[in-house]
Amino acid sequence: MADATLTRGRLTGARGARGTGGRRRSVRSAENLAGWLFVAPALVIIGLFVLLPILMALWVSITAWNGQGSPFTGSVEVVGLENYTRLFTEEGLARQDFMTSLRNNAYYVLVVVPLQTALALGLAMVVNARLLKGKTFFRTAFYFPSVTSSVAISVVFLFIFANSGVVNGLLAMFGVQGPMWFSDSRGVLHLLLDGIGLADIDDPPAMLTESGPFGLSWWEWLSGPSVAMCSIIVLNVWTTSGTFMLMFLAALQNVPVSLEEAAMLDGANRWQRFRNVTLPALRSTMFLVLTLGVIGTWQVFDQIYVMSQGNPAKTTLTPAYLSYRTAFRDFDYGSGAAISFVLFLIIVVLTLGQRLLLRERGGRS
Amino acid sequence: MTGAHVRAVRKGQARTIAGSFAGYAVLVFFSLVFLYPFVIQVANSFKTEPDAAANPISPIPSPVTLDGYEKIFQATDLPTWLGNSILVTVLVTVGRIFFDSLAGYALARLRFRGRGAVFATVIAVLAVPGVVLLIPKFLVLNQFGIYNSYTALIVPLLADAAGVFIMKQFFESIPVSVEEAARIDGAGTFRIFWSVVLPMARPALITLTILSFQGSWNELPHTLVAVQDPELFTLPRGVAELVTGSLGSGTQYPLKLGAALLATIPVAIIFVIFQRYFIRGANEGVDKG
Amino acid sequence: MTRRTTTALAAAAAACALLAAGCGSGFEDNPASTPQSSGPAKLQILIGSSGEAETKAVQDAAAAWAKATGNSATVIPAQDMSQQLGQAFAGDSPPDVFYVEAGRFADYASVGALEPYASKISDSEGFYESLRNTFTFNGTYYCVPKDFSTLGLVINTELWKKAGLTEDDVPTTWEEFTSVAKKIKDAGITPLVVADTRDRLGAFMKQAGGWITSPDGKQATADSPQNLQALEYVQSLLKDGLAVYPSAVDAGWGGEAFGKEKAAMTIEGNWIKGAMKADFPDVKYTVHELPAGPAGKGTLSFTNCWGIAAKSKYKEQAISFVEAMTTVDQQMAFAKAFGVMPSRTAAADAYSKEFPEDAAFLKGAEYAQGPVNAPKMESVLVDFDTALQKLKDGDPKQILSRLQENTKAALGG
Repeated sequence: MADATLTRGRLTGARGARGTGGRRRSVRSAENLAGWLFVAPALVIIGLFVLLPILMALWVSITAWNGQGSPFTGSVEVVGLENYTRLFTEEGLARQDFMTSLRNNAYYVLVVVPLQTALALGLAMVVNARLLKGKTFFRTAFYFPSVTSSVAISVVFLFIFANSGVVNGLLAMFGVQGPMWFSDSRGVLHLLLDGIGLADIDDPPAMLTESGPFGLSWWEWLSGPSVAMCSIIVLNVWTTSGTFMLMFLAALQNVPVSLEEAAMLDGANRWQRFRNVTLPALRSTMFLVLTLGVIGTWQVFDQIYVMSQGNPAKTTLTPAYLSYRTAFRDFDYGSGAAISFVLFLIIVVLTLGQRLLLRERGGRS
Repeated sequence: MTGAHVRAVRKGQARTIAGSFAGYAVLVFFSLVFLYPFVIQVANSFKTEPDAAANPISPIPSPVTLDGYEKIFQATDLPTWLGNSILVTVLVTVGRIFFDSLAGYALARLRFRGRGAVFATVIAVLAVPGVVLLIPKFLVLNQFGIYNSYTALIVPLLADAAGVFIMKQFFESIPVSVEEAARIDGAGTFRIFWSVVLPMARPALITLTILSFQGSWNELPHTLVAVQDPELFTLPRGVAELVTGSLGSGTQYPLKLGAALLATIPVAIIFVIFQRYFIRGANEGVDKG
Repeated sequence: MTRRTTTALAAAAAACALLAAGCGSGFEDNPASTPQSSGPAKLQILIGSSGEAETKAVQDAAAAWAKATGNSATVIPAQDMSQQLGQAFAGDSPPDVFYVEAGRFADYASVGALEPYASKISDSEGFYESLRNTFTFNGTYYCVPKDFSTLGLVINTELWKKAGLTEDDVPTTWEEFTSVAKKIKDAGITPLVVADTRDRLGAFMKQAGGWITSPDGKQATADSPQNLQALEYVQSLLKDGLAVYPSAVDAGWGGEAFGKEKAAMTIEGNWIKGAMKADFPDVKYTVHELPAGPAGKGTLSFTNCWGIAAKSKYKEQAISFVEAMTTVDQQMAFAKAFGVMPSRTAAADAYSKEFPEDAAFLKGAEYAQGPVNAPKMESVLVDFDTALQKLKDGDPKQILSRLQENTKAALGG
């Protein structure tokens, strides 16, 4: 949109400044050439390594290519949409694994996004408080984890959450015996239900285990993230809160102080000030943080690859990792590609849906 | 009214002191939470294995030992990984600065046919989640016959849509008059770009440098599909293999933590020095939305 | 997007696709026609090493062969064999020689990645029959087994004594095992640590008389009553605290837990010898045959073969290399270096003379069950392992019926 106005503006400007038609044409064609030359390298690289791969993958996803030879020869079996339908309608391991990965990732998103948003916002507000000093130090401290490599952090957290590691050591100080984080595949919701006595985790109600949609029983769908997944959740909240905190901080610093003071004079208490002055000002940043959060959490891969590889009991299996494993270990590139496209679709749908929802709520942001 | 005002302010003041205390407490607590894992990492990399296993929380090794680091240099290929990381990061960063700013400038200032289409492509690419590209990138690298080579490791990363976007945004904010003046003086397009506009883009370039450095230094998924020869491993890939591969049997934590630490140090140093620009880079994301 | 931009994008996409198809040099479509390169060969050998000892031994042997034949041979230990081989096969130049895990053999053979050279090796029948069968696909004997290991019951002599047990108490049946384990538990020691994978617990299935597939590998037999009996037995051990998984005692595998003396017994294979010698040299232990189940003795065998890539440019030299690696003397050298058993029957006597303490492992060759070698079973077996991880609180019947369904689907039956 901005682009179009700019073009239009420049056209009128150019017409005014450039004079005769002949000279304009040669200048414009020189500029045309320059323009294409300038974008060429970036465009070639992006085209070759983003666009082209997507097209190739689309092709492979409708075949049963097994990794030997070129996928474009005639000997490659075309199976149409079978790789996709197998993920949704055909009973079997493929669907089970895919649904399990969806379930795991969905719980992960549901926990991580609110947590990291709330933490980021809370920290931003505290750091922003006018009366507190040392902003730069705290800002740096909170942002630092986001900068380091996820692999390095995963190694540290593997150590921290080891059975006799830091976390369990700290819990022991309070007399709590920590679980064996990476071997514990019990779902948090299951444990909760077990704790309040609604269901026995070792003997779940038959009604829930007998049937269920898409190949997983209702009981399995209701598992919540597993204990092992929780350690990965902690890792990611810890890593990404800093980045989002910075965004909130920047937005908060744009809230005019006079507005806050006026509200205070009017007798508004802290909570009312927050709801009516601060939150509305943060609307667009909030939207951005939520969107980036959703997109990022649906793609979680590095940590799974380094820390758990889907274990224990497939409770840390995510669609991104499943796609990778299906292609590179099971040599089923068609299925792997199909999984990654379904994931792409999910992310796009969720992002658009979020845009719609938040737009309806409060007018154009 | 004045009385009430004074009362409100005084009440506010009292609340403020308590509030400050609470505020500081929160900040300090979370600083510990965010920084202590690094303390643990450093401390434990200097411990012996039994010590690390027995006293993981303690920030003080007893005894202090360089065993872990010795093993790193003997049993792993860390120097190779480091060399590869440096090579890849430098080339990718330079490449991105150059290509992204060229493209960004063209999209911002040059009129050429199809500009709209190119820009739309850039935006579309921004929307593609990175993970979806894992398998497809492998297919393309294979098809071009460059799989498992430095070319595969570096070339696909030489330009990125986000960088193009950032540069375009920035160039659009430079007043047109500057370029008009240079053009009247008879400078060609590239001259204008190189000698007039680019120097003015310092802040954005630094941001781009930081983002590229950080992105390519820490990159893992791309290295998984681009290479498999251990000679071509970068630091993230090497450390990942250290943990998951056959070298990872047994829980040799000081070794692994030490390797992870060595992988982190360069970024940490650059971060501390160039904080301002990292933070600006994060805020560019606000505009991206 | 305007129509013009859409057309522009489409044109760009089409151009890219054409470019790619034209530049498609990454795939060799006809491996059989790969020209045999003349001159000294540069062999690339990819191994899935069990540790430094193995890497060094293979490198030394390769160097010796290279010197003797005037070629060059580079040995590379793989980090993740499956992944690296998989990606290598999709590419243009896979390693010439590589280890092929028995469990993945069928996958590779079925996609034509392996060269069926086995009959070209001298005395190609002189290997144990079960091992040869493991590497036969669709009637063709593809590659020669390089060595093998079986599972045995490894007992920590000190902890054994501490529990008041003697040589005579070594269990030979499931019942004896249970009672011995109870005695050890009463002495405050964890009786058995065993890994939570079919590659260990499968031995119980064999001992009960069952297995995942039929002997010819074409039918799924997972949900048999024998398998159920085996899993229920293991579950009872787990529930009564007579057996634990390595992760429960903070170890990566059974050998590590055993070496750290977290348990008195473990079920592991020959490779434990090397690990114990290197990492836990002070722990004294003995090896015995696994206790027999209702159907008699049973154990699992593990083997790799020397695979030669169908796309290799140096097939002749590769075969010569494998020939050199599988002589009785070379196999004995490997056995001494990193504790595997020679796959040639002719080496059995020399081996039992050299390593009398491994008699139990060697005996296992007579009643061992090889890995499942049907293609596309990997994810099924991974799923089975996942279920076994939860065996303690799980339902064995359900685990087996799920395994049955998945196996049937994979075998296409």
